[in-house]
Amino acid sequence: MTLMTMALKMASGLEKTCAIFFLTLLFALPLGMVVALMRGSKYKVISGAASFIISVLRGTPLMLQLIAVTYGPYYLFGISVSRNKLIPVVVAFSINYAAYFAEIYRSGIESMPVGQYEAAQVLGYSRVQTFFKIIFPQVIRRILPSMTNEIVTLVKDTSMAFTVSYQEMFTIGKQIANSETSFIPFVVAGVFYYVFNAAVSFIMRRVEKAMSYYKI
Amino acid sequence: MKKITALVLALIIAALTLGLAGCGAKTDDTANETEAERTSFTMGIDPEYPPFSYLGDDGEYTGFDVEVCKAVCDYLGWEFKVFAVNWDEKLVQLDSEECDCVWSGMTILDSMKDAGYIISRPYFDNEQVLLVKDDSEYKSSADLAGKDVAVQLGTSGEALLSGDLSDLAKTFGNIVTANSFTSCFTELAGNAVDAVFVDAPVAQDYVANNEGFRIIDEDFGAEQYGIAFRSGDADLCARVEAAIDAIIENGTYAAIVEKYPDIAGNLLLTK
Repeated sequence: MTLMTMALKMASGLEKTCAIFFLTLLFALPLGMVVALMRGSKYKVISGAASFIISVLRGTPLMLQLIAVTYGPYYLFGISVSRNKLIPVVVAFSINYAAYFAEIYRSGIESMPVGQYEAAQVLGYSRVQTFFKIIFPQVIRRILPSMTNEIVTLVKDTSMAFTVSYQEMFTIGKQIANSETSFIPFVVAGVFYYVFNAAVSFIMRRVEKAMSYYKI
Repeated sequence: MKKITALVLALIIAALTLGLAGCGAKTDDTANETEAERTSFTMGIDPEYPPFSYLGDDGEYTGFDVEVCKAVCDYLGWEFKVFAVNWDEKLVQLDSEECDCVWSGMTILDSMKDAGYIISRPYFDNEQVLLVKDDSEYKSSADLAGKDVAVQLGTSGEALLSGDLSDLAKTFGNIVTANSFTSCFTELAGNAVDAVFVDAPVAQDYVANNEGFRIIDEDFGAEQYGIAFRSGDADLCARVEAAIDAIIENGTYAAIVEKYPDIAGNLLLTK
């Protein structure tokens, strides 16, 4: 097998890697915000529940969560395992990443000086207006570097979907490595991940620049 | 001043050369020493491969291959160690000396010999079978056209489906590669796939211990199990083979075979 066929074959799995990546971001980013707001709630029941969920999701391996979400329903209730593995994989990744994103959002929200809220109140902003017009944009700007960190990790974590037999790029790489008794597919995989992450970092830097208006 | 610098440089170069030469000689010595005076032997196994190698009820690795290897080590006076490999990385882990051999119901592939690995003589005749659910209506591989089939990554079954049996593989709907047979079987039990392509002894063991599964009887070509050693370890391979002969002579081997009646019929070394 030439390097070219190898790379092409692995690129066919890249589509599935991308599917995990983008769908996870799509669901985890808003879900994380919801969890962060729950965590900051003044009702003890809600904030307690949110911090419990976060502690479980951060305290257990993603691999375990993947297995639990994929095979758990079958073992517990006899519900058939999904043939389209993308569904359980994205569910597991989304809830796991939502927990991390929630903590990043919280760090951003809590870093806002009280003066900002007081000034908004004096200017006659309502609580909702204060949050969305004044606090939220600054929070986003402030947490962007930590977000980039998490998102870059997500790109690399997609390879963990192999645990539940989801045929993403790295799984195909392993298959080729096996049938060809060769180490090259791992090098190809490394290049793929690096280029993907270089693109992610580039985009995130542009976003940071675009949002520099909100920098305090 | 220049002279002193030159002298110092010369000394450094001399020291380095001697040092390197010394190192080289030393490594050679150790290599010879370890082979002649080997005190321990680490076998690489797939820990989820009953009845050849698996985690026993007492929490220790056991199985046919593990017991034979243990007997070999006892015979040669080596300390017996087990290393659970990641099956699809087994040869890389062998090369990086995490284990001294891969001995775990391993099918001999030409690609291994081509890559320079020393492979022992075959000790088991294997065949691939399709495992399906008892209540399904599949009777042959033809019935599985368009259906999903699971196979373990790095096994000969996977190699067959992408090589000699690729025509058959094309008739299947999806080939799902999993990282262990346990997950293949879970996929089948949970209806995520319709069949598992697997080595006959593993399938037989699974059917014997779990309800609701059966094996489709169909010949997919024969293959054999062997033990893989690193390319430089021809001597080690010969010593292990000689030790196996010895334990066959003294009856130890037969005693182990008796514990595994399901696979006894396909063993090649028993007389």
